[in-house]
Amino acid sequence: MIKTDVRLDDMTRGEIVRYLENTVEPEEGIIPAYIMSDPAVYDLEHEKVFLKTWLFLGHESEIPNNGDFVTRDLAGYSVIVSRNQDGVIRAFYNMCTHRGMKLCRADKGNKARFTCPYHGFTFKNSGELIGVPMQKDIYGGKLDFEAMGLHQVTIETYKGLIFGTFNDTPQDFSEFLGDFKWYLDIAVGRTDMEVVGPPQKFIINSQWKIGADNFVSDSYHTMVTHGSIAKLGMVPNATYSKKGYQVHTENGHGCNIGMPNPDFAFPEELIPEYKAHLSPQQFDMMADLKNMIGTIFPNLSFLVSHTEVKGKLISNTTVRLWRPIAVDKMEVITWFLVEKNASEDWKHRSRESYILTFSPSGIFEQDDTEVFTDITGAASGHVPFAKNYTYNYTMGKHRVPVKDFLGPGIVYDDKFTEANSRSYYRYWLDLMKA
Amino acid sequence: MSMERLLAKHIFEEWLYHEAKCLDEIEFDRWFNLMHPDLRYEMPVRVNKEGMERPDYATDMFAFQDDINTLKMRVERLKTEYAWAEMPPSRTRRFVSNVRVAEFEDHQRAVVNSYLLIYRSRSTDIEHDLISGERRDEFKYLDGDWKLSKRFFLVDQTTLNTRNLAIFV
Repeated sequence: MIKTDVRLDDMTRGEIVRYLENTVEPEEGIIPAYIMSDPAVYDLEHEKVFLKTWLFLGHESEIPNNGDFVTRDLAGYSVIVSRNQDGVIRAFYNMCTHRGMKLCRADKGNKARFTCPYHGFTFKNSGELIGVPMQKDIYGGKLDFEAMGLHQVTIETYKGLIFGTFNDTPQDFSEFLGDFKWYLDIAVGRTDMEVVGPPQKFIINSQWKIGADNFVSDSYHTMVTHGSIAKLGMVPNATYSKKGYQVHTENGHGCNIGMPNPDFAFPEELIPEYKAHLSPQQFDMMADLKNMIGTIFPNLSFLVSHTEVKGKLISNTTVRLWRPIAVDKMEVITWFLVEKNASEDWKHRSRESYILTFSPSGIFEQDDTEVFTDITGAASGHVPFAKNYTYNYTMGKHRVPVKDFLGPGIVYDDKFTEANSRSYYRYWLDLMKA
Repeated sequence: MSMERLLAKHIFEEWLYHEAKCLDEIEFDRWFNLMHPDLRYEMPVRVNKEGMERPDYATDMFAFQDDINTLKMRVERLKTEYAWAEMPPSRTRRFVSNVRVAEFEDHQRAVVNSYLLIYRSRSTDIEHDLISGERRDEFKYLDGDWKLSKRFFLVDQTTLNTRNLAIFV
């Protein structure tokens, strides 16, 4: 029977949460399609996930000099991330505290102070209000400058990655990343890394979780979705993506580690640097790494990819945000990172391989976007909800984690399992219930 | 305008219309044959700068940054049975206009600027994507034909409102 009388948008928040608890069963591998498409779930997610957890804002190397700033989105709201005159990075809600005009409208720049285009209120890049036109005359000198500083946004950094949150009592940032730092170190903190160029941005008519979920656990799709890549000889064969490990830690984070690799995927002359930045166990893993694909809950994914381009092996490192714009639409924002001390030739070839494979024109990327769009379409509307159509996430449920792995977390000894997705949706559900 | 310039404008308008037809009709091999071996095929990321600061595009990040070899890989990929992004292919229509020949040496080289509007329709979608921008092209004369030796496509959006660039600009 189709339940035309039950609709999430008629329910209270508490009723929606109970409905989720009864229908989303991560440990059983049962994920209902409606969580990808229901506007009520999307709205609740904004409050319970995006206003609660740490979200990625950018990389310290994007604002290397005092006065450098970028404007970024945090949970759907514009914020200014600025390196102040004292070298400290701070973030502010991008709104004049006088009458609410958006203060800064550039993506990036260098400014010691921001002047509002509406009435000329001027703020230092550390947030203090320092100038109001004709203030002595029109406010009688009584305007409280100190109370009118920009609204500060809480930020934290790890290995160059800047995260922020609007939550006044967020989880401790170090605990939030937890054991996953061990893997993040290899992906983005193996030595001094820098972002090259602005991030690339494009729109997909896709629910945001599909991207995050794809990167957290789905190595299986590589055989088919990315089958063209093996045909071109860029990777050894269509089943190369199975070899390695799948790992997840607490709080929904997880990654897939492609191993072994007969070749060293990174600039060899930087081995002393890697050894200085990593533990011996981390270096051992890195030295054998073919690729690394993962997600930091909820929507930051990262990728280290080693492929053959024009007869030469090269790796590239990227991070990407699946930024929700609507229940069925997201902006994908991709940053390219490279070792600061790599040779110019390496940096050039690494960027070239990124553009060719995982940029908006990337020959890996583009096949994924087609899948994400069509999953979103099929999940949308009343029928998938009313009929309780579900996805099957049971792959690898029969398997036992390996012991004595180099790194922490729950580890499986090949990548074809959906354990990471089960862990991701468990944490998602826990936050939705909280 | 001299007769030589008038003729040059006509030659390159026809060249660009022919190119548009090859791409819109999914004739990638024919399109690829229009390229010069020295090709540089670039689409920088457009950025939103403060005030009138220029250039308002990145000089160090690109959505396309191809030479003849990587472009060949893209064309070959589209011919495999797994190129899902364009299976079935988008229906595209490339509108080329505002053609200006900036530099011209007959039977040698030319610099040609034009505007491009791509209409893209995928699958059964009733919504379409529009990609608008300016091409700054360079041509070299090779074995009796004008070949594209450089394409610089300056797109008009900082966030591309299309699911991917599985199509050429």
